[in-house]
Amino acid sequence: MASIVNITEKLGSQAAAKAFTLTSAVWFAFATSFGMIAAGYLIAPDFMANIEFIQFGRSRPIHVNLVLFGFVTPGLLAAALYYAPRLLRTHLYSQRLGVVTAILWNLTLVIGVISLGMGYSQGREYAELPWAVDLMIAGLFGLVIFNLFMTVHRRQEPILYVSIWYACAAVVLTAVGYCLGNVIWKPDSGALLGIPDAILLWFYGHNIFGLLLTPLALGVAYYVLPLATRSPLYSHTLSLIGFWSLIVVYTHVGTHHLLQVPVPTWLKAISIVDSVGMVIPVMVFLINIWFTVKGKLGDIHADIGAKFVFTGTIMYFFANIQGSFMALPQVQRVTHFNNWVVGHAHLGVFAFAGITALGGLYFILPKITKKPLYSRYLADLQYWLILIGVSVMIIDLTIVGLLQGNAWLNGETVYRVLPEIHLYYVIRASAGLFILSGAYLGLYNIVRTLFFNPGAATE
Amino acid sequence: MKMTPTVVIGGALVILTVIVLLMVAWPYSTADMTPSEIYRERTEVEKAGFKIYLQNGCVYCHSQSIRAFDWGHGAHRIAQSGDYVGDSPIQLGSARTGVDLSQEGGEHPDDWHVAHFVNPRYTRPNSIMPPFRWLGEERIGILTQYVQSLGLKGADKRMDRQRYWKAESIKAYEAGPDANARWLAEIVPQGWRDLPNPYPTSDASLQRGHVVYQQFCIGCHGPVGDGMGPAQPWIYPPPLNFTILKGREISGGIIYYQLMNGITGTAMPYFKHELESQKIWEVGNYVAEYFINDSDANTEPRGIDAANEP
Repeated sequence: MASIVNITEKLGSQAAAKAFTLTSAVWFAFATSFGMIAAGYLIAPDFMANIEFIQFGRSRPIHVNLVLFGFVTPGLLAAALYYAPRLLRTHLYSQRLGVVTAILWNLTLVIGVISLGMGYSQGREYAELPWAVDLMIAGLFGLVIFNLFMTVHRRQEPILYVSIWYACAAVVLTAVGYCLGNVIWKPDSGALLGIPDAILLWFYGHNIFGLLLTPLALGVAYYVLPLATRSPLYSHTLSLIGFWSLIVVYTHVGTHHLLQVPVPTWLKAISIVDSVGMVIPVMVFLINIWFTVKGKLGDIHADIGAKFVFTGTIMYFFANIQGSFMALPQVQRVTHFNNWVVGHAHLGVFAFAGITALGGLYFILPKITKKPLYSRYLADLQYWLILIGVSVMIIDLTIVGLLQGNAWLNGETVYRVLPEIHLYYVIRASAGLFILSGAYLGLYNIVRTLFFNPGAATE
Repeated sequence: MKMTPTVVIGGALVILTVIVLLMVAWPYSTADMTPSEIYRERTEVEKAGFKIYLQNGCVYCHSQSIRAFDWGHGAHRIAQSGDYVGDSPIQLGSARTGVDLSQEGGEHPDDWHVAHFVNPRYTRPNSIMPPFRWLGEERIGILTQYVQSLGLKGADKRMDRQRYWKAESIKAYEAGPDANARWLAEIVPQGWRDLPNPYPTSDASLQRGHVVYQQFCIGCHGPVGDGMGPAQPWIYPPPLNFTILKGREISGGIIYYQLMNGITGTAMPYFKHELESQKIWEVGNYVAEYFINDSDANTEPRGIDAANEP
């Protein structure tokens, strides 16, 4: 306990936000490293042959889980732990609890990586982590909820800003959804039986984006962009519509992963209608935020954090258009089961939520350290590496998905198409190298900013 | 609308509850869990193999879900909900980097799977699946048992056929090259046996045959067609040594038929899903020309020459 007090003191004010910032930056580097390993296996399966811990079937879930729970979620939470007290005109309920949460968060991730590496996987996408780790993650969300709610409870500001709605709803709904989706009452399998297991899995799986990453990222965008451009939010009404419609519509879409599976037709119909209906929450948000910053692109360009976040909103637009489109059964005949979907996942999780998380970190870093960023140049370089990397990767995976899907529809077998897609796997891994470099550059920049920053104090 | 903490959290939780009831609880409680006609319970060893399948993330590349418009591996049975009533977790999968495995049981004999797990490129030269040699012989065996159960009762039927013809093919192999060559010809229907390869030999067609050979055959039959490809040590009866076939009356039609339909019981799979007619004829002629040194391409009986033929 004494050491935690020590760490908290050493981190100074805003210790919780700093701890989560560091967590996010470190696991971003790890997560992309595992992504590179997985991409390497697809190019040359014999290159790292017979290494149990990192073989493709293990490094892929490690990559995905680390991106979701190691990089993006802590990154967005770091911003929330900073902006919540400011928007509520109070202090964070407990910096020490925040630091403890971050330490336990890292511990959980380490245990999670080791479990998956050793093969303790429950074999359900996004719900691979074994029961004990599930409990720890649920507990961590409990700690975040407690800290956040006590801060809300002690607020001096009577009105809750839209970012607070999103942050509170995200952590509460995810805590519930995580336990439900991981079938936490069945420690052994962590799964239901038969087709209902698939329905629950994809309800949960899509809600990791819909009820965790998206609301947290929107909370960051709603905080960063009006501040960076010194503009009042365009419309309170649109904020309200966007918030409630997101929770209503997004929670319906999971079954669009199962359109070609024997599940009830009414369930598919609902998921398709709501997938298309996702344009409502998304466009409402985008109209609101883009009108807020209208004519202020110079301000956005001047602030590296806002630049990342604004880019995230553009990616949100593309993710939504593509997502609604590919939920249509006729489109899915081509796109299902192939790399198109992998491209979409990178667009949504990384290009939208991940880039927004990075923007949140760069926006708060000068404020929580009270010093300018260690290097704006490195952050800009990282921005371009990541933007080029992820754009090339998404376009590449979309093309290769179309190649695979159309070939299969035409009666060509999976095996026959493999030589055709090899080159695209090489391009994808090359694009991944850009993102990987960006992740390590970012880690260096953030560590320097937090701990070894020669810059003069700004406050 | 005043967004108090109660409204935000209470409202969000109420919405989530309603939607969980609609989108998860309702389909759960009304799900038809009647087993389909192929359903049976898995044996203990198959369950142990399923654990290995889960641990190694096979689901990230292999679906177990055949759709109404699929063509390839396993597409002889469209998935029904009753096929999955014993699966927990269900392994439908979200990608087909590899083939669908829902009807994999009995597609190949066990020894093919062992060679394939040791290194997938031993049996499938273009495969991008990582090797599983590190699992060790015992766990590869257990995993194979699970894979051979995919398709359940359908798989059992196919496995019976594999076992019957495995015994027959071993008998033929052990009776020596003469008997083996005779057996390989006799299991082909008469019409095919009388048929020469209808395509004339040309450099271009041999080139194409060479490409097909490298992508599909080289792992077992080896680069010089002597049956000493890298898969050979794991496979019994061993891959055919083509060079013994000279003068043993192996027509182009026999080669075509065996490539198209495979030789059930042996590691020789069928290629009718993967290779169109011309490709099968041309790789057959490549084998006849280079390895058997005895090609009947474009000899009598033959029909009218095709428009493009020289």
